[in-house]
Amino acid sequence: MENWEKIKEELLAQISAVQSERDLEALRVQLLGRKGLIAGYMRRMKDLSPQEKKEFGKSINEVKKEVEQRLLEAGMILKRREEEESIQRESIDLTLEGVKPLRGTIHPVNQVIREIEDIFVSMGYSVMSGPEIETNEYNFVRANTPEGHPARAMQDTFYIDVDHLLRTQTTAIQMRSLEKLHDRLPIKIICPGKVYRRDDDDATHAHQFTQMEGLVVDENITMADLKGTLELMCRRMFGNQRQVRFRPSYFPFTEPSVEVDISCPFCGGKGCSVCKHSGWIEILGAGMVHPNVLNMAGIDAGKYTGFAFGVGIERVAMLRYGIDDIRDFFQDDVRFLKEFESAE
Amino acid sequence: MKCSYNWLKSYVDLEGISPEECAERLTASGLEVEGIEKQASGSDLVIGKMLSCEKHPDSDHLMVCRVDDGTSVRQIVCGAPNAREAVGRKVIVALPGCELPGGTIRSSKIRGQLSDGMICALFELGVDRKLLTEKQLSGIEILGDDAPLGSRDVLSYLGLDDTILEITLTPNRADCLAMWSLAMQTGAVLNRKVTLPEEYRAEKELPATAEVSIQTDKCAWYLAKVIRHVQIGPSPEWIVRALRSNGIKTINNVVDISNLVMLETGQPLHFYDLKKIRDSSITVRQGLQETYEALDGQEYAIQPEDIMITNEGRTVGIAGIMGGEDSKIDETTDGILIEAASFDHVAIRNTSLRLNLQTEAAQRFIKMIEPSAGRKAVWRSTELLAEYAGAEGIEETVTAGSADLTPRKITLTQEKVNQVLGTSFTREEILEPLERLHFQPEADGDRITVTVPAYRMNDVALPEDVIEEIIQIRGYDNIIGTLPRMAQTIGTLEEENKLSRSVRDYLVGAGYHDILTYSLVGEKEAQDAVMPLGKPVAVLHPLSEERKYYRTSLLPSMLDAVSYNRSHFLEDFGLFEIGSVYAQGAEDHHARLSIALSGRLVQSEWKKKELPADFYTIKGVVEGLLEHLGYAHERISLEPVSDASLFHPFQAASVSLDGHVCAMMGKVHPAAARRYGLGNETVCAEMDLTEVMRRERGKMRFTPIPRFPSIRYDLSMMVDESVSARSVQKICEQNGTKLLQSAEIFDVYEGKGVAAGKKSLAVRMVFQAEDHTLKDEEIRPIVDRIADRLSREILAQIRAN
Repeated sequence: MENWEKIKEELLAQISAVQSERDLEALRVQLLGRKGLIAGYMRRMKDLSPQEKKEFGKSINEVKKEVEQRLLEAGMILKRREEEESIQRESIDLTLEGVKPLRGTIHPVNQVIREIEDIFVSMGYSVMSGPEIETNEYNFVRANTPEGHPARAMQDTFYIDVDHLLRTQTTAIQMRSLEKLHDRLPIKIICPGKVYRRDDDDATHAHQFTQMEGLVVDENITMADLKGTLELMCRRMFGNQRQVRFRPSYFPFTEPSVEVDISCPFCGGKGCSVCKHSGWIEILGAGMVHPNVLNMAGIDAGKYTGFAFGVGIERVAMLRYGIDDIRDFFQDDVRFLKEFESAE
Repeated sequence: MKCSYNWLKSYVDLEGISPEECAERLTASGLEVEGIEKQASGSDLVIGKMLSCEKHPDSDHLMVCRVDDGTSVRQIVCGAPNAREAVGRKVIVALPGCELPGGTIRSSKIRGQLSDGMICALFELGVDRKLLTEKQLSGIEILGDDAPLGSRDVLSYLGLDDTILEITLTPNRADCLAMWSLAMQTGAVLNRKVTLPEEYRAEKELPATAEVSIQTDKCAWYLAKVIRHVQIGPSPEWIVRALRSNGIKTINNVVDISNLVMLETGQPLHFYDLKKIRDSSITVRQGLQETYEALDGQEYAIQPEDIMITNEGRTVGIAGIMGGEDSKIDETTDGILIEAASFDHVAIRNTSLRLNLQTEAAQRFIKMIEPSAGRKAVWRSTELLAEYAGAEGIEETVTAGSADLTPRKITLTQEKVNQVLGTSFTREEILEPLERLHFQPEADGDRITVTVPAYRMNDVALPEDVIEEIIQIRGYDNIIGTLPRMAQTIGTLEEENKLSRSVRDYLVGAGYHDILTYSLVGEKEAQDAVMPLGKPVAVLHPLSEERKYYRTSLLPSMLDAVSYNRSHFLEDFGLFEIGSVYAQGAEDHHARLSIALSGRLVQSEWKKKELPADFYTIKGVVEGLLEHLGYAHERISLEPVSDASLFHPFQAASVSLDGHVCAMMGKVHPAAARRYGLGNETVCAEMDLTEVMRRERGKMRFTPIPRFPSIRYDLSMMVDESVSARSVQKICEQNGTKLLQSAEIFDVYEGKGVAAGKKSLAVRMVFQAEDHTLKDEEIRPIVDRIADRLSREILAQIRAN
């Protein structure tokens, strides 16, 4: 009689020794195939007595079951191992540069415009535009600056002809909007745009730059409303801690007129080189709309009041990003532009 | 303007107030003090006496001096050429440790000789060089014998202990160009007492002999006063100092008085030599055209619009700007004629600008003179001439025209003040600053009526002006921020703004950088305009040749920007700009977009992922953008362009939307690339966004996703190289029935393995039915028909399907 235990042990040892799935399959055929070892034993059964057959059959079936089980297990182990090996072969250099989606940048001036627009649109202001080639009328006369007014000397103008000029201030858009909307009050608008002055270009002057003005006209609009509105804008732009200060100033189209300072965002008001140790930085001009301006637009200055403010976009961007030469905005050096990639 | 603190002190009680504090308070009230400058400085100065002066043993030009400083004798090495002259006389000695504008003085050895201090020149104390004579600039200051030996109060002995406030006046506060008005304002701001000279009347005035005729509407009034005798001589020290503080040199007592009174009252004065004004007759007129020699010795071309002062047909001055050479005051002057007048500020500005003559007088007329200044100036100069120039034979003042001196009254209410400011000031809080400002407020119930002081007449006309005065004195810190309480409004963006934002976002997402270039361009850019709306608008008197025209196209400026970057060794980038163009005769601006791609847009160098600057890249961006903006692909059509000088004749196209041209795009013409310095790999486009916006944008609508699978068929063929991809697609579309969803070229090959003059094309067709799963038998005949058409119509050799 066969020593089934020994046979089984030998077979199992053979299975354990297999190192690849391919060899395992070969062994499986060798053991369990039609012409395999087990089948061979099976064929011998027919020569045995019924009693022997029964025992032989029981034993061989046990062996077969055990072999099948072990083959299955070995297969799984080998599969896992081979998978692991193939995964290992997929090892790559993690330090090579990733493939980033292409990404351009919005010009810092346009970024600031959009940011301020969004602040005010969220407060119910509409954004208005107007022509860059303007008339004397809207740029100066309606802004309470008739021919010969001393304030005209404050701005040097590019004239096209006697009546036409490149607008020197986005105030011109305000004047057009006032006229257009005078019978549809309240007015709550902001007006961004390019403006032009006959200035030689240097680090702090540009013959072309960008302004944004705001205008609110309704009953009972106060200078405190102006201050609160500017506080809100300055805090959104320069941080929640900013304080806003009014200083007396003069613009022909506002009365009273003020220059607006914010507490220095660089030193928090303690004094530093940016704020020239004053703790304050001048950021914009503002005031209550001059009654003459309202009257010229057909709005009853006895009944309505309004406030207006104007900010230089390049100045805001220069302060925000620490740029010290206004010409950088127009040079369009790709290295400069790429610096504005990150989201604020 | 410059304001001498000592001078201001002579009018305003500034006891206990430092120049710095005064400056801060003035700034807070609207007179911005931009600089505080000591006239001279030196921390340890003493008046010494030069005892001896010997040549330095080891130097050609240095001297070894012995100086008595009042307590001891010290040795000082000095290099001044006039040191020897000073022996036995008083000098300014800076003791060791003395802080001077140029540094700190130390005791040291100079070429072996002890130098225990420094003997000073005035400029070494920081005195403005412009105010010093040649002699003072080249040597040490030698003091008068009255100088007190050993005195440490050197600056006040020199009259150089003053501080100058540099005040920037806004155009509405030109009244403060007058010291007297500035004094009134300072008193109001600091709430201190102000004492101004009282109006002077000569004891006896002779009947007037002067005659004045105004023959132009540009002169509202003219005051003339003859003083028959004056004595020309030096000015008293206080006048010299007052003028010096304003950077004006002393000339003689009479001329100095005219300048001083201008500084005091703001009224420019002109004194004529009486003997040169025949019959004391003055005519103010326009309409002359001549060459005229003014008192600076220069000749000026006078035009008819200039206001001129004439005497019996002969010009004696350019009104409000400068007098004439031959009637100016000099040593021979005996009598004078005083002129105080009001000339139109616009006329004076125009003449002053044209003649490039920005005199103190002209500056004041341009900024407008207050109506009472003329009278003040006449009595004040008479007073000073009597006191310091022995004036005799004072005639009565002749007045031509008239100044409007009617007091202006303005009424406002407490409610109005608080309504405009958003404050809650009490009546007293409103009245107090008005009292201080000499507005003489009178309260009547809720109403407050003020009388505007004459010197504020050019600025204060409306209640709002008065409200500004109140808050400037009260202080803006009293305003606490609130937000407007008003009906709800909905914030909106204009269509152009919305479109610009979509364009920006799309192109930034595609890897391009948004740029900003100047609207004004030169001849080259104007010539190269793409799709100009007309001839460019030119500016008058451009700043330079490069900034002459408002541009009619953005692309030339874009190529300049590309060129700038290439010249800085940056070759691979994409740029775009959104801006306006104008043209002569065009009603309004058009919004434009320019795009340029130089080199390639690299996503990864080592993985070789990049977009090259070729026609297909720019075409893809332009078409992709239009589709993003809501214009379906079928609405876009292309035509070759060959007449545009900026574009390559065979790699450029004009783009139409619904048949209307809206853009041009393509490779830059090699000749243009050379002209701009671009290299050969630049493609670009210009799009007229205004034109685009005129076409209706497609609405976004949801189409259900097909529930049944689609079938894909590829056809590969050999065609003549002149056959366009579009013609293949077109045949597919025409014969594909409604089941054909798309037909796209997915492979193009020319070269090895393909016969010369031929190319291999492959088209991928996708078929889809809405209501069932397509079977191969349904599609096969369609594909066969397409293949058949391709063979017949474009002679395609179908290779496989």
